[in-house]
Amino acid sequence: MATDVDIAEAQLSHKRWLTAPALLCITLFGMVPLITVMSYSLMQPSEYGGVVPKFSPDAYISLLFQRDVFDDALTFSPDYLIIFARTVAFGAATTLLCLLIGFPTAYFMATRSPDTRNRWVLLITIPFWSNLLVRTIAIMFIIRDEGLINMIMLSLDLINAPVGIIFTDFAIVLGLIYSFLPFMILPIYAALEKVDFRLAEAGFDLYASRFQVLWRIIIPLAMPGIITGCVLVFIPTFGAYVTPLLLGGGRHMMIGDLIALQFGSSRNWPLGSAFATVLMGFVLLALYIQARKAMGVSHG
Amino acid sequence: MTEFQSSATSGSAVDMLGIVKDFDTFRAVDDVTLKIQPNEFFTLLGPSGCGKTTLLRLMAGFETPTTGSILLGTKDISRLPPNHRPINTVFQSYALFPHMTVAENIGFGLKMLGRSRSEIKVTVDEMLRLVRLEGRGDSLVTRLSGGQQQRVALARGLAPRPQILLLDEPLSALDLKLRQSMQIELKRLQAETGITFVFVTHDQEEALTMSDRIAVMNAGKVLQVGSSRDIYEHPADRFVAGFIGETNFLQGDLEAVDGMSGTVRLKNGVRVSAGLSEEAPRHGAITIVIRPEHIEITDVGAAGSIAATVATVVYFGTDTHIHTHLADGTPVIIRQQNRRDGSRAPQTNALIGLVLPLGASQVLRD
Ligand SMILES: Nc1ncnc2c1ncn2[C@@H]1O[C@H](COP(=O)(O)OP(=O)(O)OP(=O)(O)O)[C@@H](O)[C@H]1O
Ligand SMILES: [Mg+2]
Repeated sequence: MATDVDIAEAQLSHKRWLTAPALLCITLFGMVPLITVMSYSLMQPSEYGGVVPKFSPDAYISLLFQRDVFDDALTFSPDYLIIFARTVAFGAATTLLCLLIGFPTAYFMATRSPDTRNRWVLLITIPFWSNLLVRTIAIMFIIRDEGLINMIMLSLDLINAPVGIIFTDFAIVLGLIYSFLPFMILPIYAALEKVDFRLAEAGFDLYASRFQVLWRIIIPLAMPGIITGCVLVFIPTFGAYVTPLLLGGGRHMMIGDLIALQFGSSRNWPLGSAFATVLMGFVLLALYIQARKAMGVSHG
Repeated sequence: MTEFQSSATSGSAVDMLGIVKDFDTFRAVDDVTLKIQPNEFFTLLGPSGCGKTTLLRLMAGFETPTTGSILLGTKDISRLPPNHRPINTVFQSYALFPHMTVAENIGFGLKMLGRSRSEIKVTVDEMLRLVRLEGRGDSLVTRLSGGQQQRVALARGLAPRPQILLLDEPLSALDLKLRQSMQIELKRLQAETGITFVFVTHDQEEALTMSDRIAVMNAGKVLQVGSSRDIYEHPADRFVAGFIGETNFLQGDLEAVDGMSGTVRLKNGVRVSAGLSEEAPRHGAITIVIRPEHIEITDVGAAGSIAATVATVVYFGTDTHIHTHLADGTPVIIRQQNRRDGSRAPQTNALIGLVLPLGASQVLRD
């Protein structure tokens, strides 16, 4: 009689053992670095990089304030805040533009015949076959003053002198769009591919214009893919480092560059860790809001 | 909607004039001319692939005719997009919007027509009552059963009060019981709303029981248009005769013609008189058709009878189907109504005589 329960329990503990490798991986590769970064952010910097294991909230204070060299007085300094705001703004602009370019692209792909669709998916993934650094340098060659775009425009007499594209905010966003566009296209494509386009016919039949069919039927049904795409583009822009460095010429830092700087030449690991921790908090908040929205969508 | 309703009173509801629809080199609809009357329950009946859906899509505006024109009242609508035609469709797959509630689905057309919120609510409630889904307005359509989804699709098509409602095999996904009750429901809805229904089916029984008029189609052509009775009793050609109900085909030679009837000498020498349809041949080798319930059974060898051997006898409750074959192997089916006295159906392998009563057999155009 009790045997059933015993077996069930034995199976259960057996199953618990099966989850051990996964738990180990998460702990080792997820939690340990996370806790390390968070604890570093609360320590003092060592002179040659690394940290001195003594508690100090200085890193967090210096996110917003500058300590006077002479009398230790704190004065408000928005420098880092500006970089953070710029990062969010670039991320938002990149996400929005990726959405505006990505949705029509995904729509085009999803409305091709089934056998040609896979070819389009393959084309979209081609950039991933090469390294991001190489691709970014390639963009530099295209947009620099002596680059392809300026050459063409000059030879067509559209302009008299090269237009400065490289080392501008525009160049950074352009590079970010180029890097992350597939992350927008593919989830939207996956969602659109599942949409029954007979529903569009039904909408059309019920007096909806083309725009209304798109707005009231296609887009709501593709919404899970749109949300996923936005998350997959917006969040990685926070980690962007190579793109703003190369295309922005280091003039306009994003938070990724700032963090790299702290662990590199500035040798302020606690400050770098504090940036990383705050960023993580922000991303978690953004994800939470998105998840709430996604739930709202799927519950109609 | 007023602009739509104004034309409904003049003549036919829909005129299809010489419609041809080609898909590349394939002719899906071949020179179809149809006049559908206002308030009519009109059915397109034909085998799979004969072009019924294509014809419906031409009316709805999802396809444009290669040649020919479609008139709604007196207005040529051949080139109007679907959202400018006062015609709604009930799709075979229902095509309900899964992200909307029942009420939002039903109200969608009215919303797109720019009706006020209050007007939409009144109409949606009325529609919910009409299709017997009161109180289900806030349910998600994905939570409904097949029959309920079917009724939402109907209500959604009816809510904007179209001049024409097109129904593309709307009952084919339902099981038999539900299908029969929906058939009655559809007839009731059509009568109550007074909207012209154009109904597509490949089920001849469904067509016969529901329609005011039926158009029988094959291979892109309309072969015959008429009431159920017309089509069953006076099929225009062999295809229609074979497609609607069961029919026996017997080979013979036309020996004498007298106006609309003639004397046919069957292969086994027996002479029968048969009606001649207008387009029927007037001489030579012909085929006569006769319905199974019109053949009478007598003793073998009786004067004017044809000898046949009983192969199988199938009891169907209300009637019995007797499968026989003639001496030359031609199969003949006879249907006899079962009487209370439990009278004698012939035994398997028995030799019987078949009588083709005067006026029951017809010679048709091939
Ligand atoms: N878009 C299209 N392109 C090419 N051929 C088509 C197209 N639509 C329909 N056809 C062809 O036209 C013919 C008629 O199709 P249709 O769907 O009208 O048949 P149907 O009578 O509705 O058949 P069913 O009873 O199976 O639904 C078919 O042979 C079909 O293959
Ligand atoms: Mg069809």
